[in-house]
Amino acid sequence: MTSGPSRGRRYVMLLLLLCGFGIILFRLVTLQVLQAAELTARADRQHQKTVSFEGARGTVSDRHGKVLAMNVEVPSVFGIPASLESPSVIARTLSPVLNVRSTELERKLRQDKSFVWLARKVEPEQGRQLGQLSLDGIGVVMEGRRFYPKGPLLAHVLGFSGMDGQGLEGLERRYDSHLLGEKRVTVLQRDALGRTVFPKGLTEQVPAPGHSLMLTVDEVIQYIAEKELEEAVTHSRAKSGTVIVMEPQSGAILALAISPRFDPNVVAALTPDRWRNRALTDTYEPGSTMKMVVAAAALEEKVMTPDSLVFGENGRMVIANTTIHDHEKQGWMTFSEVIQKSSNIGTAKAGMALGEQRLYRYLQAFGFGQRTEVDLPGEVNGLLKAPKDWGRRSLASISMGQEVGVTPLQMVSAVATLANGGVMMKPYVVSEIRDEKGRLVKEVLPQVKRRVVSPDTARMMTTMLEGVVTNGTGTKGAIPGFRVAGKTGTAQKIDPRTGAYSSTQFVGSFVGFVPAEAPRLAMIVILDEPQGEAWGGTVAAPVFRRVGEQVLNYLGVSREDTVKIALAMKD
Amino acid sequence: MKTLTIVAGVMLVFVFVWERVDVVRVGYHIERLKGQKVLLERERDQLQVKFSALSAPERIAKVATEKFGLIPPMQGQVLMVHEPGEVPSAPLLPAEQVRVAKHISSGRAGE
Repeated sequence: MTSGPSRGRRYVMLLLLLCGFGIILFRLVTLQVLQAAELTARADRQHQKTVSFEGARGTVSDRHGKVLAMNVEVPSVFGIPASLESPSVIARTLSPVLNVRSTELERKLRQDKSFVWLARKVEPEQGRQLGQLSLDGIGVVMEGRRFYPKGPLLAHVLGFSGMDGQGLEGLERRYDSHLLGEKRVTVLQRDALGRTVFPKGLTEQVPAPGHSLMLTVDEVIQYIAEKELEEAVTHSRAKSGTVIVMEPQSGAILALAISPRFDPNVVAALTPDRWRNRALTDTYEPGSTMKMVVAAAALEEKVMTPDSLVFGENGRMVIANTTIHDHEKQGWMTFSEVIQKSSNIGTAKAGMALGEQRLYRYLQAFGFGQRTEVDLPGEVNGLLKAPKDWGRRSLASISMGQEVGVTPLQMVSAVATLANGGVMMKPYVVSEIRDEKGRLVKEVLPQVKRRVVSPDTARMMTTMLEGVVTNGTGTKGAIPGFRVAGKTGTAQKIDPRTGAYSSTQFVGSFVGFVPAEAPRLAMIVILDEPQGEAWGGTVAAPVFRRVGEQVLNYLGVSREDTVKIALAMKD
Repeated sequence: MKTLTIVAGVMLVFVFVWERVDVVRVGYHIERLKGQKVLLERERDQLQVKFSALSAPERIAKVATEKFGLIPPMQGQVLMVHEPGEVPSAPLLPAEQVRVAKHISSGRAGE
């Protein structure tokens, strides 16, 4: 038998135990049931890290695989203002490494934010120096930065991408959806020291990089075009210039040079005027180069033959109370001579013989007034009014390349059509798109747009355009050893102050193809507002010759005299 | 028999623990290798950019003219020599490589 006080102590002990277990049970229910969701989330935050990965932007290379644009991971520097004891000291330490003023850095570090960027996408060496400093509250993350290793080469075609990797201009913008890398979010496991153990499941895939573009452009041809254009622009003190080199049989663009150039690695300080691709965004009145289109239409419609006689009105002809002049007084001449001498009156007569509707139809067929559909952004239609909107002088004016606005790309497509036997091809810049493993995603084959004139007309036009280079206004475009077909153009610009044609501002141009008998290159050279002599045959034709000769050498195209020399050696 | 069962059980526990520890160890190793791979890929890309910049035609031309005193060949100084029977220019594409755009009408203008 137990005494009363002893039993009492047992009850007290039991009560205490029950209370203890009750408290534990209550705490258990609180942790495991009532706060389960919140605590699980907190635990996950401590031992899991969610990281957003983005595959690298795809590369861009020329037709031989030479890299023109690619991504490299470089350091970006950030600060955590709350964890800094002395922002001013940190700012002074970082300033010489980041090449940013210390006052600017200090202003950022004193902001009431949990995270601030101090410098994004800096040089790898700067990242290494920062790592050696190991400053508390200052961190480095790696981000993809776009590099254009050739500098300004092909910059107007390539365009550029923004700080966050989005394409902003040129091919970077046009093919942004292909070039962008895959975005993926991955959960990493961290241990007590914050180290990554390994991703949940070893099957985690690294996000795929973007697709790669292979261009039709050849970096050597592009370099030749840019070098010669720069020299011509500098020498003639022109405002700007354009050269396009195209393969007539396919429409593939081998080079597209714009002057002045820009470096896509450094675009922050530039205005859009500098990076605009003038070859397809700007229109100009083509002047006499349009005469080849009128001549082709006249031959095709059989209103003229190369030997048809045309009276040059001794250099003056009145149309709709205005007078059309020729550079030289001409009497009777063949239609071939009209084109050779670039007679305004002779071409106007050919245009009038065609009539408004037929001329308009051919201008459209040669691609004027509509986009070429090249795979580059920003292309404009140009200006080609419908005949109902033409004035009494329009037929003559348009025949001479006035009252019509064309892009350089439209004009080179037109001459390439004649070089290609009368068949117009669609111009293109990207020939292949491949994924990260090199598998073909898209292959761009040459596309026929339409037949514009017959092979006979194209042949006659070739002979007539050869005459321009051998005996006409384009003799400075001749390339020794090759037969060149071409046409000069010198167009007066409209003075925005007076609204009339300026007597001091011109656009000098030359379009043509070579070798005339089996064309490998169709080319246009345009110089905007050259100072001094502004004739297309004087300022633009020599550029055609220099580019053409070097490119034909580079492509290994034989000169005519090579065959003669070989035959002579054989004999 | 009883002792054997206990020993086997303890062994199993040890194997299980060893396996878990090894998984973690290999995991750390994989992470280290991944880090090295990333660094090497980064270095490869940087070298690729440097190579592309150094092989730019503009730079090569500058080095050729300024450092080695070379000049571009003058007109007529370049003659292509082709093997007998070799056609120097190949302007036309095979028919199977050309296709007609679907959305653009064909047919001669003016017809």
